[in-house]
Amino acid sequence: MATTPLMQDLQGYLKVTVDRQQIVASNIANVDTPGYHVRDINFQSAMQQVMLKGDDAQLGPATNDVEGLPERPDGNNVNIDRESLVLSQTQLQYQMGVQLIKEEFHRLLSAIKDGN
Amino acid sequence: MGMFDMLSISASALSAERQRAEVTSANLANAETTRTDQGGPYVRKEVVFSATNSSPFRTVLNRVGRFGQAAGGSVQVSQVVNDTTAPIMRYEPGNPDADKNGFVAYPAINPVTEMVDLMGAVRSYQMNASAVSAAKQMIQQSIDILKSS
Repeated sequence: MATTPLMQDLQGYLKVTVDRQQIVASNIANVDTPGYHVRDINFQSAMQQVMLKGDDAQLGPATNDVEGLPERPDGNNVNIDRESLVLSQTQLQYQMGVQLIKEEFHRLLSAIKDGN
Repeated sequence: MGMFDMLSISASALSAERQRAEVTSANLANAETTRTDQGGPYVRKEVVFSATNSSPFRTVLNRVGRFGQAAGGSVQVSQVVNDTTAPIMRYEPGNPDADKNGFVAYPAINPVTEMVDLMGAVRSYQMNASAVSAAKQMIQQSIDILKSS
C-alpha cells in the first residue's frame, strides 16, 4: 500500500517499465533463435491497467507481436537497433521514476519536519 | 520478481552464445582432423537455439494471468547437430588415412564461415552483456531509494 496517490502511480510506472525491460531482454536473448518474433507491450494500456487496479494488478502485461519489422530468412525479426533503443529508453524511464519517488519521499519528510 | 528475471533471461543468452562460440572454436580447431574416435574425419557441429517458455500451455496460463508475471522467453541450446555435408576428398597417397585410391577425407569446414559465426556469437554476447549492465543499473537505482540524502 503506497503512502500517497502519486507514489502509487509511480510504483505502477516502475512496474510497467520493468515489465517492458524484461521483454526487451528476452528479445535480445533470442536474437539468433530461428522463427522468433519480437514482442513488446503497449505502454499506454499497461499503464492504464496498473493505474486502475493499483496493487491488485496480478495480471502480467499483455504482450503483442511488433508489426513492420523485416524478417530474416530464418524467420527471426529481431532488430538489434530497435532493441538497444528501447533498452536505453526504459532504463532512463526507470531512472526518472526512481527520482520522482525519491522526490516524493523528500516532500513527505519535509511535511513531517514542518518544512525544515 | 521482475528485475531478477531480467538478469536470468540475459544470463541464459550469455551461456547459449558462449556455447555457440565453443562449438565454432571446436570446428576451427578440427578443420584438418582426419581421425576421430568414431572413425573417419571430424564432423562439423552446429548449435540449434530455441526460445524456452514457448509451450502453448504456459503461454495460455500467462495470458489468463493467474500465475502472475510472465517469465519472458529465455533462450537455450536445444541441440548440437552434425553437419551432413560430405567430407572433402584430397589426393594424398602418402597419408596413413588415405583410402585405396589415395584420397583422404577431410572435414567440410570453411574457416571463413566459422570466423563469421564466431564474430556473430561475440557480438550477440556483447549485446546481452549490455542488457545485464542495464538491469544491474536499474536494480542499483532502486536500492538507492533507500539512501537518505
